Amino acid sequence: MSEPGAGRRWAFRLLVLVVIALGPVVMRDTYWRSVLVVCALNVMLALGLDFVLGYAGQLNLGQAAFYGIGAYTSTLLVTRLGLSFWPSLVAGTVLAGVAGVALALFAVRLRGHYLAIASLGFAVITYQVLLQWISLTQGPLGIYAIPPPPSLALPGLPVIDFANPARMFYLVATFALLAYVVLDALVRSPIGETLAAIREDEVSAAALGINTPAWKAFAFGVGSAIAGMAGAFYASFIGTLVPDAFFMTESFTVLAMVIVGGLGTLIGPVAGAILLTVLPEALRGVGDLRLIVYGVSLTLVVLFVPGGLVGTVRTLRERVVERRAPGAATA
Amino acid sequence: MPDALTVVVQQTINGVVLGSLYVLVALGLTLIYGVLVQINFAHADIVTVGAFAAYFFTHRFGGHYVLSIGVALAVGAVLGWLINSLVFVPLRRRGSELLPLIATIGVSILMENASLAAFGPIPYAFESPYSGQVIRLGRIFISLQHLLVIAVAGVTIGLLYAFIRYTVHGKALRAVAQDVETAGLMGINPNRLIMLTFVIGSALAGLSGALLGPVLVLTPFAGASVIVKAFAIVIIGGFGNMEGTILAGLLVGLIEAFTTQLMNPGLIDIVVFALLLATLALRPTGLIAERREENV
Repeated sequence: MSEPGAGRRWAFRLLVLVVIALGPVVMRDTYWRSVLVVCALNVMLALGLDFVLGYAGQLNLGQAAFYGIGAYTSTLLVTRLGLSFWPSLVAGTVLAGVAGVALALFAVRLRGHYLAIASLGFAVITYQVLLQWISLTQGPLGIYAIPPPPSLALPGLPVIDFANPARMFYLVATFALLAYVVLDALVRSPIGETLAAIREDEVSAAALGINTPAWKAFAFGVGSAIAGMAGAFYASFIGTLVPDAFFMTESFTVLAMVIVGGLGTLIGPVAGAILLTVLPEALRGVGDLRLIVYGVSLTLVVLFVPGGLVGTVRTLRERVVERRAPGAATA
Repeated sequence: MPDALTVVVQQTINGVVLGSLYVLVALGLTLIYGVLVQINFAHADIVTVGAFAAYFFTHRFGGHYVLSIGVALAVGAVLGWLINSLVFVPLRRRGSELLPLIATIGVSILMENASLAAFGPIPYAFESPYSGQVIRLGRIFISLQHLLVIAVAGVTIGLLYAFIRYTVHGKALRAVAQDVETAGLMGINPNRLIMLTFVIGSALAGLSGALLGPVLVLTPFAGASVIVKAFAIVIIGGFGNMEGTILAGLLVGLIEAFTTQLMNPGLIDIVVFALLLATLALRPTGLIAERREENV
């Protein structure tokens, strides 16, 4: 937290903004611009999961369900009730968050493996409900022609039309950045320490007077709400919704992004989400390796690279520092 | 038009057949949890690979179906040995509760998609010579395959029970399940016992694959549909509790048969998981987590 550290942090933030701004400028191709949007969506999903798993220490295998709840809620409000996109986005985000809180409160005395399986069970039920409740969701037939977010007319600026992957990317990236900033503030606040206490030892945390069920529910609520928000953007970007997009496998790919990037850091899951979105696209020519990449990277990183990408970078940096100033490596 | 009683008896038989297969899969999970307090998420993919091993043994190499059950069992045992050596043993030193589960989710994705690459998505017609032979008792039909499933499952469960109750290894296994450290002080090598349990549990999964192959649709995703039910079963029955797992497995089999008959097969997962969530709400952590809390 020293002054030079703060300076470096500002430089880093500026770099992030420049990278986001240049993304669609460098990627001229519509296909790759769409990949950028998917990157931003996955960043949100990974950040949401990491808050629950990396900071509060609870394994949530239901991220796909919250993603789906957000997507279907906002879409149905738009297509059935004729609501506009922005209130529907808020509704999808809130409902996914409420579902997360409800699941966590329901599983209030569960931890570890039990909570993991309860959340997986919730994802299985949600997927089946989306599939079977045909009068509402049209089941496997899906919902088509979902409109993009309405054009934005800010005073003094030309009208921004979102039926375009580049502008959609700027929109989703802005909200992903917002999610990052909110989570960053949360984990640096005393709330972050409370969650860490629960993660390290739930029984001792409760003995210290921490209301562990309430804080676990809070973490689940925040993580699920972010997933719900991503879902609303996903639907309005892709334009079609089918339940298969929210099968439990989707929870596992998000888990792989968090683990590969670095559990319990915020920049790690961002990097993991980008890497594991772009890499399978780049390997598309080699056959359908997408999921094999997730499986292999998830297992190998857990076994051999405990800190993920972020941990590796930190270790390398410490080695460089040590070489420059032997004995002062702890700084 | 069959009368209500015939339907009930017929579906009960179907439910018990399915249920005994689920029991075999879930027993492996629960045995491993008993000694290791860990979940192998790739357990169901051992079922899938076991089913494919049995399929190729019978349909490509002309082996007999009954022998293929042994082949699947051996394949399951080898996979269990590999997964324990490569994933659980190294991670045990780090002492994390969730990392092994997360690593085996990766193993599961890998096994499922490697099977997909090798075998393709089109279902295989795994024909058992016994599926077509049907015994008729009044208006009730039972195929020899169903009888074989119940017989193999019954004998396997009986042998397993006798092994755990009456052999020295079984006694040591129960000791490790109760308290690893104290068992170690009594001269039991916990690592060898954990490996033994892992191999036995995974062999059960492989064996169930050979039995499930002709009953379910054989695709690389066959295991995934079984694993979620196996999880529900071990939780409803109580993790590490053999009798509970057997009861819960039969219950889930019956739920599946009657949901298919009376409602819509698409509702099976919803009913089973609603039961799972209800169990968690009413009898939340099960005995194991309570005991661990006291140990802290």
